Amino acid sequence: MSEPVLSVRGLEVTFTGGGRPVPAVRGVDFDVYPNEVLGIVGESGSGKSVTSLAVTGLLPETAKVQGSIKLADVEVTTADREVLRQMRGQDVGMIFQDPTTTLNPVFTIGRQVTEGQVAHGQIPAGNARGRGIELLREVDIPDPTGRVVQYPHQFSGGMRQRAVIAMAMAGRPRLIIADEPTTALDVTVQAQVLSVLAKRQADTGAAVILITHDLGVIAEVAHRVAVMYGGRIVETGPVHEIFKRPQHPYTVGLLQSLPRIDAAEERLVPIRGQPPNPARLPTGCTFHPRCPIGRDRERCRTEDPALREVVEGHRSACHCVEEVAALLADTATPARAPATVAPQAAAAQAPLLAVDKLKVHFPIKAGILRRRVGWVRAVDGVSLTVNAGETVGLVGESGCGKTTTGRAIMGLIKATGGSVRFDGQEVTRLSPGELRKARRNMQYIFQDPYSSLNPIKTVGDIVAEPLHIHGIYEEMGGAKRIAELFELVGLPRTVLGRYPREFSGGQKQRIGIARALALQPRLLILDEPVAALDVSIQAQIINLLQDLQKELGLAYLFIAHDLSVVRHISDRVAVMYLGKIIEESEKTTLYETPVHPYTQSLLSAVPVPDPDARHTRRRIVLEGDIPNPSKPPPGCYFHPRCFRASDRCRVEEPAFTPYPGLPTRTACHHAGPLGASS
Amino acid sequence: MTGYIIRRILQLLPVLLISSAGIWAMIYAVPGTPIGALVGENATPEQVQAAIQRVGLDQPMLVQFWAWLKSALVGDLGRSIFSRDPVFDLIMGRAPATLQLGLGATLVGLILGIPVAVLSALYPNSWLDRSLSGWSALALGVPTFWLGILLILLFSVELRWLPSASTYVSIFESPWGAIRNTFLPALTLGVYVSGIFARFLRASLLSEMKADYVRTARSKGLKERDVVGRHVFRNALLPFVTVVGLMMAAFIGGTVVTEAVFTYPGIGRLLIQAITQRDYPLIQGVILFILVVHVVINLMVDVLYAYIDPRIEYS
Ligand SMILES: Nc1ncnc2c1ncn2[C@@H]1O[C@H](COP(=O)(O)OP(=O)(O)OP(=O)(O)O)[C@@H](O)[C@H]1O
Ligand code: SF4
Ligand code: SF4
Ligand SMILES: [Mg+2]
Repeated sequence: MSEPVLSVRGLEVTFTGGGRPVPAVRGVDFDVYPNEVLGIVGESGSGKSVTSLAVTGLLPETAKVQGSIKLADVEVTTADREVLRQMRGQDVGMIFQDPTTTLNPVFTIGRQVTEGQVAHGQIPAGNARGRGIELLREVDIPDPTGRVVQYPHQFSGGMRQRAVIAMAMAGRPRLIIADEPTTALDVTVQAQVLSVLAKRQADTGAAVILITHDLGVIAEVAHRVAVMYGGRIVETGPVHEIFKRPQHPYTVGLLQSLPRIDAAEERLVPIRGQPPNPARLPTGCTFHPRCPIGRDRERCRTEDPALREVVEGHRSACHCVEEVAALLADTATPARAPATVAPQAAAAQAPLLAVDKLKVHFPIKAGILRRRVGWVRAVDGVSLTVNAGETVGLVGESGCGKTTTGRAIMGLIKATGGSVRFDGQEVTRLSPGELRKARRNMQYIFQDPYSSLNPIKTVGDIVAEPLHIHGIYEEMGGAKRIAELFELVGLPRTVLGRYPREFSGGQKQRIGIARALALQPRLLILDEPVAALDVSIQAQIINLLQDLQKELGLAYLFIAHDLSVVRHISDRVAVMYLGKIIEESEKTTLYETPVHPYTQSLLSAVPVPDPDARHTRRRIVLEGDIPNPSKPPPGCYFHPRCFRASDRCRVEEPAFTPYPGLPTRTACHHAGPLGASS
Repeated sequence: MTGYIIRRILQLLPVLLISSAGIWAMIYAVPGTPIGALVGENATPEQVQAAIQRVGLDQPMLVQFWAWLKSALVGDLGRSIFSRDPVFDLIMGRAPATLQLGLGATLVGLILGIPVAVLSALYPNSWLDRSLSGWSALALGVPTFWLGILLILLFSVELRWLPSASTYVSIFESPWGAIRNTFLPALTLGVYVSGIFARFLRASLLSEMKADYVRTARSKGLKERDVVGRHVFRNALLPFVTVVGLMMAAFIGGTVVTEAVFTYPGIGRLLIQAITQRDYPLIQGVILFILVVHVVINLMVDVLYAYIDPRIEYS
């Protein structure tokens, strides 16, 4: 193999200043070669970003860096400021997570994209405009001549991230570090951005370090993988090896906690416990408190294992590597719980929740008199039903109206039109008092476990609050009931007197669930309940939700953008686009035989955590962005991006009707399985 | 943009109307009348009565206000009770001097304040930052009349470079004369305001330094000087121009102490004189002028905002 572009040896980063030192990175070795993508995965706080900032010399002064980082002949740890500055932009380019904040709002895109090259004297300032146009064209931004003088707020999220790629690659650096480059983007946009990144890498032959928590993205684009845990690399090897023959219990745990879009598993196998706090790392192997093998072993508790080669090019830091394979076999055939709930049985009765042609339009106001100048059609005719004891998934990209639908069903937002019947009762016309009563049976769980709990109340009081509001605290059993609720969601009674800040994200979400269950509702509307959580914690919460459903016979309306999670948890799934449901079906049918072009594109854009699927799966990369819901296109809303659009689609809106031969309803003039008609 | 400015000006009219009424009411709420000063101590009751009628103070307050408003609408602000000169002319006689001093002081403040803030932000918490912060504290802490007297002692009495009593010389007629006469008062006010500017801009720069785009700019290999001086500075400018606008408006509205120290013929002294004499039309006129200055500067700040931040659109 050729010379590595980057060579890191024994890297340690410790944050000092303020309290006890935090060892964020503890002895990391890796190399990256030209033309290669090294994927770094790991949960939040594992040291991924700190490692990448160390490589570029961008850590704050409170960080103490030790070891060696050799990037294109520069020893980063000892180089002076000017050498590092010369290196940035010329030898290494960076792409960061959130394209809304990584660009400066007050300068044009063109200026920001070319500024680095001007600073390095690679191009004269006078040629910047022309170079900017060229760079934007290279990342497939339409109309680069017009776009180059625009400002970041005039770009969509996906276009901004492509501009950031153009910026990072402008000086043709030999190394690109992309830290969660697509985490803030929708899947269809993520697919566009990843393909642009791959194209530019092929053009320039750069080495790429791709940092992400998304194993699907890693499987799709990485050649080699490094798995980080507690500030160390615990396993590294070629991507196939990592996914097919993982050699570290943590990697096995990550793979097993992941819901899959390409398979129907009964139950996830989460990793127990929480990721470690870098300020208080466990002794010995940092994974031992969560490890199914080493939890009780003396050696694992006391001795930190070294990263050793297991097979050629595949290294693992585990004392008991030989036993890892058994771990995998163990759960390869998971104890499949028999499908106990039979939602079909309930379906015969009237549905618990029936939403019909629900509309929520928000006025757009402008001018001094705040006159109404238009409407945002956030929800524009949504019909769906949820039966008792059943889970219906509602998926769609950001801004499609999922949350507004959920809130309108709860009566938290006034519906503009249509009807919502809960248990036979029309909810949209209830008086506030009646609505409050109805809400006893219908509860809402929010996405953000951090802000949805009142920080100045104990968690016991938070959970008791709905009972007090409805004046049934004593009637429902008082303190005993509260303790029961905590046990129900897997938290010990001893935590009742603590405050929300003392809990991790996953635990806060459990508290939110306990609060929602206090009134013994029959329906939970869950709005992105696991989106903010790490994979291993996400699996714990999903399992909890499934257990609760079985035990209490709850119905769920599960709102999410993550198609894999939705497949795992739902019985039926509805797909939204621009305020409308465009396809709805029984889960397996929807995922295996989608008939609407948007569903088909959406599903094909989801990265699958299986490196073999890279070459076999068919990819439909959608052009363009989701249109503005205040100015939807005429005819079928999807036609500007649709690969099947005909003249009819441009003028006539398709009706939402049953599709023959499948338990599916869809809104498309040319609906049909992939490969059949396209 | 032009449409926006016109609309903003139209929106001003009700504001000015309401404030005029407010000022009128306030003037009358303050005890004392101009009559005593007008007729002298030995005046007979008849003379007093005649004076009251001549000035119009015998009318009900609303009638007086209505009469004033009607002529104000066509640009006639009445006459001074004492000098009998038109109020408008009196104000216009002072306005250019005040404007020149106000702009000069703001300019000095910016020239002194901005580099101090940028240097502080480039090396936060260094010895340089600390000494510069000390300097701003000093600039803010020294009373202006004291600094003014010190400057006069140094430049006029000791060095004899500049006149101790300033008169107004227009910069358009004699640039050199204008600078000679305006420099000391402008420096006095400028030093003071540079302390405010430096503190505010430093805080604004430091909070912008934490933004994500700063890391992006560094990752491109820009010089730290350009990261702070261009990327951060432009964003930090937004809150800063508001403060500059406020200070400038305050200066143009008159700076009583500094004008007194340098016997500078500004609006501030005109207002004090009007208030001590209870010269009602003049008080009303000067306050109206100050109000208009504030409003116009506010509008300028808003327009500047749109120029600095492309996300702001006025339509
Ligand atoms: N400037 C800093 N000062 C002190 N501690 C820091 C600083 N930056 C990061 N850390 C700590 O270092 C540890 C590793 O952080 P890092 O950002 O590398 O995690 P990560 O793997 O990128 O996580 P995520 O997936 O959340 O981005 C964390 O505990 C974090 O709190
Ligand atoms: S060293 Fe022990 S605790 Fe650590 S991963 Fe291996 S078996 Fe588990
Ligand atoms: S109706 Fe036409 S444009 Fe719309 S999804 Fe179907 S084929 Fe595409
Ligand atoms: Mg990170």
